[in-house]
Amino acid sequence: MTPVERAGQEAGLRGRLRALFPFDWELLRHAGAEPVPYHLKKWWFCLGGTVLYLFIVQVVTGIALTFYYVPSPAQAYESVAAITREVRFGWYIRSLHKWSANFMIVAVFLHMLRVYFTGAYRHPRQLNWCIGFLLLGTTLTFGFTGYSLVYEQLSFWGATVACNLAAAVPLAGPYIGYFLRGGPEVGENTLTRFFILHIGVLPTVTFILLGLHVLLIRLHGVTELQFEGEEAPEGERHFRFWPEHATTELMIGVLLMYLLTVVALVFPAGLGEQADPTRTPEHIKPEWYFYFNFRLLKLTSLQLSVVLTGAIGAIAFLWPFIEEWLSRRFRMPDEAPVIVGVLGFLGFLVLTVWECFAA
Amino acid sequence: MREADRTTRRAWLATALMGAGLAVSYGTLAAQALMFLLPERLKPRTRLLFAGQIGRYQMGSVQSFYDLQGNQILVKRGAKGFEAFSSTCPHLGCHVHWEAENQRFFCPCHRGVFNADGVATSGPPADAGQSLARVPLQVNEASGVVYIEVKDVKGGRT
Amino acid sequence: MTLTTKRYIVAALSFLFLASLLVVAYHESKRHRAEERPGPVVTAANRGCVDCHRKDGPALVMEWEHSRHAQYGVGCVDCHAAEKGEMDAWSHEGTTVSALVTPKDCARCHAREYEQFSRSHHARAGEILASLDNVLAEKAAGMPGNIADAVNGCWQCHGAIVKFKRDAQGGILRAGKESKPVIDPDTWPNSGMGRLNPDGSKGSCHACHSRHAFEAKLSRSPENCGKCHMGPDHPQIEIYNESKHGIAFYANRDRMALDREKEWVLGRDYSAAPTCATCHISSYMTPQGIAVANSHDVGERISWTLRPVISTKLNLVIYEDGFKEDYPDTRALPKVGDQAQTVEKVVENEKLISKTVPRKVARVVTWEDRRKGMKGVCLNCHNDTYVDNFYKQYDDLVVLYNEKFARPAQQVMDDLTADGVLNPKAPFEHNVQWVFYELWHHEGRRARHGASMMGPDYTHWHGMYEVAKHFYTKFLPEVVEIAATKGPALRQKYEQKVRQLLAQDAHVWQKGLKPEEAEALRKMYRERYNQ
Repeated sequence: MTPVERAGQEAGLRGRLRALFPFDWELLRHAGAEPVPYHLKKWWFCLGGTVLYLFIVQVVTGIALTFYYVPSPAQAYESVAAITREVRFGWYIRSLHKWSANFMIVAVFLHMLRVYFTGAYRHPRQLNWCIGFLLLGTTLTFGFTGYSLVYEQLSFWGATVACNLAAAVPLAGPYIGYFLRGGPEVGENTLTRFFILHIGVLPTVTFILLGLHVLLIRLHGVTELQFEGEEAPEGERHFRFWPEHATTELMIGVLLMYLLTVVALVFPAGLGEQADPTRTPEHIKPEWYFYFNFRLLKLTSLQLSVVLTGAIGAIAFLWPFIEEWLSRRFRMPDEAPVIVGVLGFLGFLVLTVWECFAA
Repeated sequence: MREADRTTRRAWLATALMGAGLAVSYGTLAAQALMFLLPERLKPRTRLLFAGQIGRYQMGSVQSFYDLQGNQILVKRGAKGFEAFSSTCPHLGCHVHWEAENQRFFCPCHRGVFNADGVATSGPPADAGQSLARVPLQVNEASGVVYIEVKDVKGGRT
Repeated sequence: MTLTTKRYIVAALSFLFLASLLVVAYHESKRHRAEERPGPVVTAANRGCVDCHRKDGPALVMEWEHSRHAQYGVGCVDCHAAEKGEMDAWSHEGTTVSALVTPKDCARCHAREYEQFSRSHHARAGEILASLDNVLAEKAAGMPGNIADAVNGCWQCHGAIVKFKRDAQGGILRAGKESKPVIDPDTWPNSGMGRLNPDGSKGSCHACHSRHAFEAKLSRSPENCGKCHMGPDHPQIEIYNESKHGIAFYANRDRMALDREKEWVLGRDYSAAPTCATCHISSYMTPQGIAVANSHDVGERISWTLRPVISTKLNLVIYEDGFKEDYPDTRALPKVGDQAQTVEKVVENEKLISKTVPRKVARVVTWEDRRKGMKGVCLNCHNDTYVDNFYKQYDDLVVLYNEKFARPAQQVMDDLTADGVLNPKAPFEHNVQWVFYELWHHEGRRARHGASMMGPDYTHWHGMYEVAKHFYTKFLPEVVEIAATKGPALRQKYEQKVRQLLAQDAHVWQKGLKPEEAEALRKMYRERYNQ
């Protein structure tokens, strides 16, 4: 029986209403009845949900901010100032948006580390790793474009540097640079483009990728793991997504709101000098999540840093396949991926901290 | 599937508290977000601007001032005391001027005429039953100063 | 963790979240309460001035922008505009202006304050130009062709007669491409309180209300008055600083609401301490709950005059045209409606002259009424026994000074003049004249002022002690000495006078203390200092 027929069977008002929207609600119940493996009771495994929650916060606060933000070089800064100083709770919504962005990027990094070190990227979940890596890309691009919209000195000049970096990519570079800037140099078109990327293109891409990411998790099921020495007690191998796991996610969500509010109160989003295209500040620094890249740029050259970043990025993106190929070719000890991961993370950390404390 | 927690009183209390907590906290956030989305003042902030000294107004004379957005305001002293009008003609936006000899406001664009009360008596504005917009003013008898009340512009710098 | 536990945790966390949101709401409401100060408004008429003078005198423009005038759009032209033909006016960049802004100009908007100020002693401060003080500055310290002491000293507080340089025909000299009238540099710059202006008005509002920010908090602060009300002959600011009033002020400056716009009422807007303005000018609360309006006539609440050799109580006669005249209590008061020949000092042809003007009496205010006005201020902090007793203490000091020293000294000086020993045309010829001058003009005044404003050290050590010491050790011997220069007969006469004076009860102590008093004195020093 088709859902329409099934609905048509019901008598009275209920039946008539059902016929308007003959969706099989049983399907949802089934989707939500995912059995969650025992190890997800550990907090480390809630990082993915954390990222999702923070993304929702970003979408909501972002839409709110769009009501007042004006994406033109003449008015951008003033509109952000107006939000911060005049609009009721403007400073709060803006600070939430800023801090949620930072928290989200941290959470994405931690989530990736967790996935990596628990080997959850391995067959058949390689595709999900790639999608996740793309999501890292969109998250960082969100951060970059969002920060540029404020049109402070650092926004403007940071955008200039980043566009120059993009333009330095071999072969496609100049086109990428032109596309990002909307012209030969950073100007009016650039701001509009960044705005559209930030509120239109990136959210759409992210939604699609996120959808695929969650779908794949549901299709594959969560990776079953057992930690050494830890055995799930009998009868507790799996627990329900709803209401148990959902409540856990709710705890995290409310905790995050509380933490975000506290940080917004203590460190509200401020406003630097307005962008002045005629005056380059002495020290241009990107946001902290690009420090590793910036330090790399300073240690090598424009071309080399772009190539290196691209190469490392490609390896990271294709890691599940690379690891598989390597383990088939050579006899790799179990610790090998762990060492690679630790080294990679340490490298990132060192470069970031170095740049942080540099002049 | 394990059976759900038995609905003991303790369990019900937990659910109720949770529901209340979530409702109240997210509700407050929603209220604050709503206040954020609604533009602030329904009544614009106003400022008083100096509009001449009483002693320097002849009866039936008009002096001209500007508000913070550059609009011209005409302050008239007449039998009814001090009154302030916008000089923008309600017909098509030209500027009216005061004719002291005729004790009327005149708009040169289409020959609109307004009486001393700012009500149009002849020409296109009269046909449409229009009047000059009034501007609130304050008179301080003790110091002999007239003020016009105009919309405040952020920062107020002209 | 069971589901129930989780739900409790969510509940707890959400209440924590709610608490943080309440802090956010509190923050938001506090932010709103701090209303931004309205910015300056430059009208079309003032645009030209501001744009140019922002380069040529930027700090002046910035000060104006800080003022309340600027908030209302009152700018350069509104105060500096002049009529063609006025003595001090010239055409500057297309507008007729005058650099000099007199109280009459301020009165265009501040009519009430001008009305009160123009009748006050502040407005008359420039009328000392025919006094002994001026003689000292122009003649004793100055010389023909250079009276810089008067110009830089006396006139900067009291005010100068603003004069112009004249050509051979007596017309005003004009110079420069704008044909600007050339002002006599001895008379401008001058912000003296009683400046005599070319337009006939007296005084200078910006003596207290410093330009161009015209800040209320400056005018209300005691330091403002202290520019002039200081020094050996009238140390009001020093006395205030010594007094508890001053101490309370400096300790509580931030509670004085000095910046409050419009009204500033003791007993409503502030309570920590009085400043000069509080007692002598400003508003205060009455027991009926009404705020007495302020008055720029600083003499309204004054019951004694502490200026002359011999202090008198001051009654006040107000005439129909508003002219006010202090009547010492030695002078019979007229009745309301009486015609009187009042003497007024005016400037004619750039000279200060006395003019007799017939006027009709409109109101008589006694010194008791004036004192009641002052007591109204005191009663905001002190009760009536306190206040009345204070006034008795103060009155007694003035009477002491008057009766023991001032009157006898004045009498002796009059006698010397009558006997031809002193030449009335040569007021500072002999040492005794200087001693006498300082006796009443310096230490005598310090003593009286000290008592009036609760500065005990000024009352005694800088005051009566010095009066007594100079009276006995300088004045009386000098009297005899100067008399002696005119012959032995006069010497004997004045020695006799002095003897008779010293035999009076008040002065007989000089001969010696009573034995008990002397013994007590010796004992005290032995016990305290072992000497």
